[in-house]
Amino acid sequence: MSDVEEAVDQDVANDQTVPRDQDVPHDTSKEDVVLRVDDLQKAFGGLVATDHATFEVERGTITGLIGPNGAGKSTIFNLISGFYEPDGGRVEVNGVDVTGMEPYEVADHGLIRTFQTPRKLEGMTVREAMLVGPQNQPGESFVNVLTSPGSVGEAEKRNLAEAERILEEFEIDHLATQPATDISGGQMKLVELARAMLAEPEILLLDEPVAGVNPTLRNELADQIRRLNEEGTTCLLIEHDMDFVMELADPVVVLDQGSVLMEGPPQRVQSDDRVIEAYLGGGT
Amino acid sequence: MSAGTRLQTAWADLTRAEQGVTGFIVGFAALLLFGLLSGGLAPTYFLYLVGIAGMYALLSFGLNSQWGFTGLINFSVAAFFGIGAYGAALTTADSSPLAGGFNPLVGLLVALVLAAVLALLIGIPTLRLRADYLAIASLGLAEVVRTIVKNESQWTNGTAGVRGIPSFFEGWPVLATFPEAMPGLEIFVPFGARIVLGTSFWSALLNVSLVLIFVGVSYALLRRVHRSPWGRVLRTIRSDEDLARALGKHTYSFKMQSFVLGSLIMALAGVFYAHLNLFVSPGDLDPITTFYVWVAVILGGSGSNRGALFGGFVIVAIREGTRFLNEFAWIPFDVAPLRLLMIGVLIVLVMRFRPQGVLPPQRELIWPSAVDEAPSRPDSGVREAKAGGGDE
Repeated sequence: MSDVEEAVDQDVANDQTVPRDQDVPHDTSKEDVVLRVDDLQKAFGGLVATDHATFEVERGTITGLIGPNGAGKSTIFNLISGFYEPDGGRVEVNGVDVTGMEPYEVADHGLIRTFQTPRKLEGMTVREAMLVGPQNQPGESFVNVLTSPGSVGEAEKRNLAEAERILEEFEIDHLATQPATDISGGQMKLVELARAMLAEPEILLLDEPVAGVNPTLRNELADQIRRLNEEGTTCLLIEHDMDFVMELADPVVVLDQGSVLMEGPPQRVQSDDRVIEAYLGGGT
Repeated sequence: MSAGTRLQTAWADLTRAEQGVTGFIVGFAALLLFGLLSGGLAPTYFLYLVGIAGMYALLSFGLNSQWGFTGLINFSVAAFFGIGAYGAALTTADSSPLAGGFNPLVGLLVALVLAAVLALLIGIPTLRLRADYLAIASLGLAEVVRTIVKNESQWTNGTAGVRGIPSFFEGWPVLATFPEAMPGLEIFVPFGARIVLGTSFWSALLNVSLVLIFVGVSYALLRRVHRSPWGRVLRTIRSDEDLARALGKHTYSFKMQSFVLGSLIMALAGVFYAHLNLFVSPGDLDPITTFYVWVAVILGGSGSNRGALFGGFVIVAIREGTRFLNEFAWIPFDVAPLRLLMIGVLIVLVMRFRPQGVLPPQRELIWPSAVDEAPSRPDSGVREAKAGGGDE
């Protein structure tokens, strides 16, 4: 991985003859871009939450999105996933312009997100809550439920088997028939991740996957995210736990006051003066 | 012997709440039977009450598929009920100020179409917003519909109401003349009263069969869709709409489907009412109906179809049953006017001691054929916790 990264960096240096710590964070070396965020803007009244943010996520990476509190990380997630409408700029998923689309349309294009606080599904068991994940289920059409119960049943059986397989992979299959509201916060995070995988996303947006999770489960989550990535899922994750980000993500995008401060491999981000200043300096 | 043991196993297989409800129903049925045999309860009136109970069950089904499934707060149950009743009445009655005299089936169709249109009209602006906005808008809608029906007398006869509504089976081959064709029966009960079953009894019986068909079909339909992936999306929306959206569900469309479905079932109740009562007036659109139905759904257990059915019956039992309490001379005060109070106390008690309702939905709802053949069917956990959220 690091070899590849070095090679890429070398390419950049050769082709464009720009210094490694260029001020323009827009990295054009990425060949296969799953998610392109271009000049995204969003203001809430007078507060500019996202200020011309531009970055790209390359297929097959785990890209970290970090920044001090209030840097606008969650706003960017909401803009990308369609929960907020941007004031300007573009979001592309797999080369398709999804700017201003509804969340379900963005999800249709292969982008699935999770939430910072685990979402509880009352009155459901874990495996039932998992079954919300799969996309385009025939049984989600009212007409199909009445006219072709056979195909609905088959799809349901397939999805249930798949859900149980994924729960097994996440080593939480013993929770399958527990009420979805009775499991621990960390387990909820695992379930949420597992459910997102049932949607077979091209790119997964993880909003603080280990916030408030005990160290054991945290390592577990790190392993799972790494495994999913090795199996081909691209991830973009927000996280405050620096150790977690640095051990998992490459590259890391640093956000400050709504715009991208820099982007680079974790070691370089950690030693970058601007990043340190953004975290410690507290603003302008 | 074997039938007895089977009955015992079936009984042991029920949750405590189910046992309680079963006991209650058996006891109540025995009471009704006693009333019928002793002559305290006239058979025709009894059938009328069954019809009203069926009507409330339909209304509860409708609200349950909006509030119970999807979490949509609809305070215009009475409006959709009224649209159903007036739609049927104005299409079929002789005295209709609009084109009357059509076959009741046409009236049924007109009523359902009207209800669907009204549901769309109120749903389009509000269902994209947070749940509270539908609540506010529907509260207003109920009054708007009632006021229009009351004041636009060139279309609705205003406060005079619509008279001369035919029975639902008017113009049908055999059933239209069934009540007249049936012989009058007299039944002598030992130690009891003489019971006369005449024409009105047979037409009431027809009405009851009609409402039983409506209730049966609605129940079967709702039961199926509730367990389907469609119902699962609705339940996800109820718990957390953002989660459903993030998982690629077009929540607005699902909410609209659920809202229209519920409204249609409420209108169906209205159609039945028009043909049961043979007279509709603006008073039938009073908001109290809405609140009775809300009580029924919450009492039965939000999200549970059989709970809605049970709740609907209980409301009618309280509403109508209190009339009979006055006949007991040893009660030193007038009981009937207290029924609103009793319903209020009942809902307070339910919220305090059993907030999930008497018969909350089953804990797990997965398409039945998928679970039965799934590789690792759980053998524990599901049955015990069926009674609801927590263990007492």
